[in-house]
Amino acid sequence: MGPARRSSPTAGAAGEEAAALARRRQGMLLASPGALYLLIFFVAPLGLISVYSFATRTSTGRTSLSGWNVESYRALGDDIIVGIIGRSAWLATLTTVLCVVVGYPFAYYIATRPRHVRAVLLVMVMIPFWTNALVRVFAIRFLLGSNGPASALSESLGFGTFRILFTPTAVTIGMVYSFLTFMVLPLYVALERMDWSLTEAARDLYASGAKAFWKVTLPLTRSGIVAGCVLVFVPSFGSYVVPDILGGAKTLLVGSYIARQFRDARNWPLGAALSVLLIVAMLVAVALNQRSGSGAEDGSRPRNRRRGPDQGEAETVTAVAS
Amino acid sequence: MTDPVAAVEIEGVTKRFGEVVAVDNIDLAIGDGEFFALLGPSGCGKTTTLRMIAGLDLPTEGSLRIFGEEVGMAPPDRRPVNTVFQAYALFPHMTVRQNIEFGLRMRGIKNPELRQRVAEATGMVRLAGMEERRPDQLSGGQQQRVALARALVNQPKVLLLDEPLGALDLKLRQEMQQELKALQREVGITFVFVTHDQEEALAMSERIGVMSEGRLLQVGTPREIYDRPASRFVADFIGRTNILEASVESASTVRLDNGALIEAETSTPEGSRVAVSLRPERVRLQPRGTTAAEGSSLDGEVRDITYLGHAVVYEVAAGPVSIEVRVEGEVGEPFAAGDEVTVAWDRGAAAVVAD
Repeated sequence: MGPARRSSPTAGAAGEEAAALARRRQGMLLASPGALYLLIFFVAPLGLISVYSFATRTSTGRTSLSGWNVESYRALGDDIIVGIIGRSAWLATLTTVLCVVVGYPFAYYIATRPRHVRAVLLVMVMIPFWTNALVRVFAIRFLLGSNGPASALSESLGFGTFRILFTPTAVTIGMVYSFLTFMVLPLYVALERMDWSLTEAARDLYASGAKAFWKVTLPLTRSGIVAGCVLVFVPSFGSYVVPDILGGAKTLLVGSYIARQFRDARNWPLGAALSVLLIVAMLVAVALNQRSGSGAEDGSRPRNRRRGPDQGEAETVTAVAS
Repeated sequence: MTDPVAAVEIEGVTKRFGEVVAVDNIDLAIGDGEFFALLGPSGCGKTTTLRMIAGLDLPTEGSLRIFGEEVGMAPPDRRPVNTVFQAYALFPHMTVRQNIEFGLRMRGIKNPELRQRVAEATGMVRLAGMEERRPDQLSGGQQQRVALARALVNQPKVLLLDEPLGALDLKLRQEMQQELKALQREVGITFVFVTHDQEEALAMSERIGVMSEGRLLQVGTPREIYDRPASRFVADFIGRTNILEASVESASTVRLDNGALIEAETSTPEGSRVAVSLRPERVRLQPRGTTAAEGSSLDGEVRDITYLGHAVVYEVAAGPVSIEVRVEGEVGEPFAAGDEVTVAWDRGAAAVVAD
């Protein structure tokens, strides 16, 4: 009886191990096309960029891959570049803040509508998102132009025509318009999952409507705010198309500056170094978001238990898909 | 009302949500210090009534007074009432202490009074030592206590409880029933609680208001509601009962539709159609032929026997009607399926209910 007993668990363990191995193999097989694609078209170019950032620019504007150095990174400390980064960071911050201010009430409105109305509103939020970005930006350019409808309206009201195009204001308007969707969707998901009996409890406990919002609704939707801010800040920091078209490339930003290094100035190492800096900054932001996201999830767990997990996301996905 | 001022006074209150009438012209007075239950099936308007007292819903029509003060249209933060929500609605991003402090802080109460009152409340619900935990680190029973403490710490004039025990398992629920009763005696304030569980309502409350389809059908003590139901719905909803169709013969007799004449007190005029409610545990089963000294009886045949451990339930066919008889505390089963029997009951066991 002894040997039989002993051998059977071993056999079982071996079988389990084999099964686990098979599962792992199957998983790798499923992931491999996507992984291969990312490897070739994402990881490899990124690697190349990193390599180039340590290269040297020859006097003729060609990139010499011999003689590695950190000259390009040192050049990032240049006043002009620091100024450009600062301006880009300021514009991205302004865009993010305006997106929160505009997007939060909007997402709140959508999330508190009846279910079928919500789906329609969400699709309407998504429509501009599905439209070609270039087309949208040119539409804004037409709207804001001195011969455009906004100016005509202002003139007919007696305020005279205005010149807003090719100013930082125009760029900001365009940026907010371009990235608002990225703010509204995570905010919507957070608000849609909100357990409104909690705000009722706050009202019942002598909080005014505003106090209930600040003490309960806002903290409980923090994960959505943080996610939205990352999703808006990161792309607007490196944004290239919007400032180029609406700013007339007068106010130089990081995105345009990098493009210029690669195209016109033919200083690939400098462009590459600046790109690497942006990527690192973005990774840091995403990591911070991940951390705060998991923290906020702790708080919402009991609500999820009651309502079924991830119902919010599921609904967003279906609403977006339909 | 004998009380000079009722704790809660509802007068002609109606609540409509669009076309739907959730609460239909209710009049109700709840006394100071009373433990009152609003009982009814889901969708009967009991929760809406409670929410109107809390101020979370506003009445479409009517007047609502708390200790004489009209509050019908006042926002929830301007009412001297607090609520224990159905799923507790504890703030997940706050500790137990922060949850309990919330109401006091909103009213600007500062230390040392704040600290003292929080300590009192946590002690009262036996949560001392749990103050720094978060709601998701507590069991269902503990969460329930936090919800109670969070409401009671504000010393409301009326405490509203929305299905307070609904989320707990049976054993814990029975424990909490006793605790809630003790707590109410201790603090001495009016408790209004909503439940769909009739046993819970009978066991806990001094008076019960039975609701159905937005209307308040009957208000009375548990005994009145159980023994003298005012309508067929109340008789059927509270406990188990046999409903027999009948018409009134005189002030003390009704004739069942199967022709039998039984004794039952009624104020309904002669000839009107009524129903007779016979509780399964208030009737006896006898061998056919034995006659009772007083009361009424019906002859029938045992159809089915269900053994429940503490009781045996016989289903007796008496002509076209089927009567459930519950026998408790008897050793063995004196009757078998197919036996000819007589169902008998004392005078007063049968209640005549209007349709």
